Amino acid sequence: MGSLIRLENVSKHYGKFMALQRVNLEVAEGEVVSVIGPSGSGKSTLIRCINLLEQYDDSGKITVNGTVVRKGADLKNVRANVGMVFQNFNLFPHMTILENVKLAPMRVDEISTEVATKRALTLLDNVGISDQADKYPGQLSGGQQQRVAIARALAMEPKILLFDEPTSALDPEMVGEVLNVIRKLADEGVTMIVVTHEMAFARQVSDRVIFMDAGQIVESGTPTDIFDATREPRTLAFLKNVLEH
Amino acid sequence: MYFQKLILKFVLILMSLATYLAPISAASRDENVLIVGANIGNVPWEFQDTAGELIGFEIDLVNEVAKRLNREIEIINIPFNGLFSAVQSSRIDIAISSITITEQRLTSVSFAQPYYDSDQSLTIRSDSNITSVNDLQDEVVAVDTGSTGDIWASENQQQYGFKEIRRYEGIAPAALDLQIGRVAGYISDIPAMQYYTKDKPELKVVERIRTGGSYSMMFRKDDELALSVNEIITTLKQEGLVNELHNKWFGVLAEESTSTAKVTAMPGVKAGLLLNFMDTFLNKAVFVETLPMLLLGLTTTLKLGLASIVIGLFFGLLLALNRLYAPAIARVIAKVYIDVFRSIPLLVLLIVIFYALPFVGISLSPFTAAATALIIVSSAYTAEIFRSGIEAIPKGQFEASQALGLSFAHMMKDVILPQATRIVIPPLTNNSINVIKDTALASVVAMPDLLKQATQAQAIAANPTPLIAAAGIYLLVLLPMVLAVSHLEKKYSKRNQ
Repeated sequence: MGSLIRLENVSKHYGKFMALQRVNLEVAEGEVVSVIGPSGSGKSTLIRCINLLEQYDDSGKITVNGTVVRKGADLKNVRANVGMVFQNFNLFPHMTILENVKLAPMRVDEISTEVATKRALTLLDNVGISDQADKYPGQLSGGQQQRVAIARALAMEPKILLFDEPTSALDPEMVGEVLNVIRKLADEGVTMIVVTHEMAFARQVSDRVIFMDAGQIVESGTPTDIFDATREPRTLAFLKNVLEH
Repeated sequence: MYFQKLILKFVLILMSLATYLAPISAASRDENVLIVGANIGNVPWEFQDTAGELIGFEIDLVNEVAKRLNREIEIINIPFNGLFSAVQSSRIDIAISSITITEQRLTSVSFAQPYYDSDQSLTIRSDSNITSVNDLQDEVVAVDTGSTGDIWASENQQQYGFKEIRRYEGIAPAALDLQIGRVAGYISDIPAMQYYTKDKPELKVVERIRTGGSYSMMFRKDDELALSVNEIITTLKQEGLVNELHNKWFGVLAEESTSTAKVTAMPGVKAGLLLNFMDTFLNKAVFVETLPMLLLGLTTTLKLGLASIVIGLFFGLLLALNRLYAPAIARVIAKVYIDVFRSIPLLVLLIVIFYALPFVGISLSPFTAAATALIIVSSAYTAEIFRSGIEAIPKGQFEASQALGLSFAHMMKDVILPQATRIVIPPLTNNSINVIKDTALASVVAMPDLLKQATQAQAIAANPTPLIAAAGIYLLVLLPMVLAVSHLEKKYSKRNQ
């Protein structure tokens, strides 16, 4: 399998602060990668550079499915191939659930209303929300909203899904329903990068786990490598901290 | 907050009526000082010389009258159509300004015996082919709001086929528009225009319009002062002093048969209005008579207001988007535009557009000029409202749209603006209320809006009822909008809790 995503020497400055320092990463088609690490370590910045919600420094290079990720005409193709799910869902509050899901296919791919509606209802059914299609986001629980956000990202039939701490804003009892949906997608072979604090989930679902600290990838390996066999002191310190809570 | 604004607005309207409320303060003033109101600039009757001294036929006459009354004198400048309310409220004792004695005016004010027999006149640009009012068919003519010329032109508009009558507040702006070419002729008092055009070769008085009518000093109705002044004028005529003034200001003596030379009776007191509150402020007959004029003014106000609001919204949104998202240069230009036009008083901008632009070859009609000024200013305010509305939308909404691959246009149209609109509706409605209120400023460029119509009606009827009625009409139009804003704001703040 070739790499779907490739990051070469990617750095990101905020003024003098280095959010990312010379990060190299390849993600193969079908691979599920979890990114863990303390807050402020650059996990979110890393995945936000992949669809250019953040600009990265000129010294580095990111390619998605062979296309270089930079401002310009090609960005449209990149974003069509990369779906993203946010911590705070970011559903469009003035549209119904159904409208949220079918908006992008209709506007970007110019798919007819009927086809877009049919596809949206199938996706909503897959995440277990089809009976809420005509409600507004504000009428749904956090867990339901996040499942809609996943359906909305899938509606563009992306090759890759990026999850930016998808369960961090949820009440504890709703975490499970969202993780189950992501797990199901992973089983179906969807390529994804998941920034998460859910260690059990990362261990169970990931093909590979990346530990980041201070804008750098400290180590990368199978869940067993990272959670059970690491000798890296920073990883050990982080895991000790997380698992004690 | 909006109720406070509403109250403030009505305080402002009342202030324009304040001349009627002045007797309260008049009681405390020095009884020995005779207060005279005059429309300064009305040559050769009352105007300023180069040293700033007040001079003129009527200034000389009223000074002599004060001397014979053994009283000090103070002369204050009041626009012509404000003189009527000023005497009625006793804010001034005497009004001078070549005021024509009319039957209608005698029902609400008193006059001394006349001292000048006048006619109206037609003034044109020297290079035009017009020789009489008969040549003014389908032309725009200028008059002074509420003056004898206004009354004559309004009565004869159909007969001569004037396309439009534009009403100005004094000789200077009307003469300026005549020079610019926005009006073809100016109908005004003949002595004033003969004197005014003396040193202005570009303007020419071509016709005497025989309206008759004589000038005199005006007083509060049944004021005893009118009787004393009338007797003094009799003496001054007998002494030949009035005719000497005629000689001084017009270069010739008046004929013996004219009221300048001959003692005449004091104009008969008409069985008129008793000056109680209801008859002065809420006179039913005056109201019924002037309502059609006011409604015509209302349609002008609404047309101007709506056109300015709609076009201002469109440009405001464009400006806001430029201000936020355009390349650096366009962004700076938008910011400068917004800041500059929120700082310039609308009235100043309006006068510049109407009276200054013609000198660089851009001559706009009153409506276009007023609409342009309102749109320029309104779009600057609207832009800031839209900008704050767009900036209030959470960043996540932009990011989610971008991550989905929506184009900028689709992001704005489908996601951001529909949400921003809900936020900006109350402040936009507020801005619309301001635009409609600001249309009243258009009366300075001879726009027949509601305020202008009311001013004209109150000068012709010599009664403030049309102003009260206009305030009521503004209230009827704007109060529902004000209440709607309060309602929307309450609803919106509830939803956000």
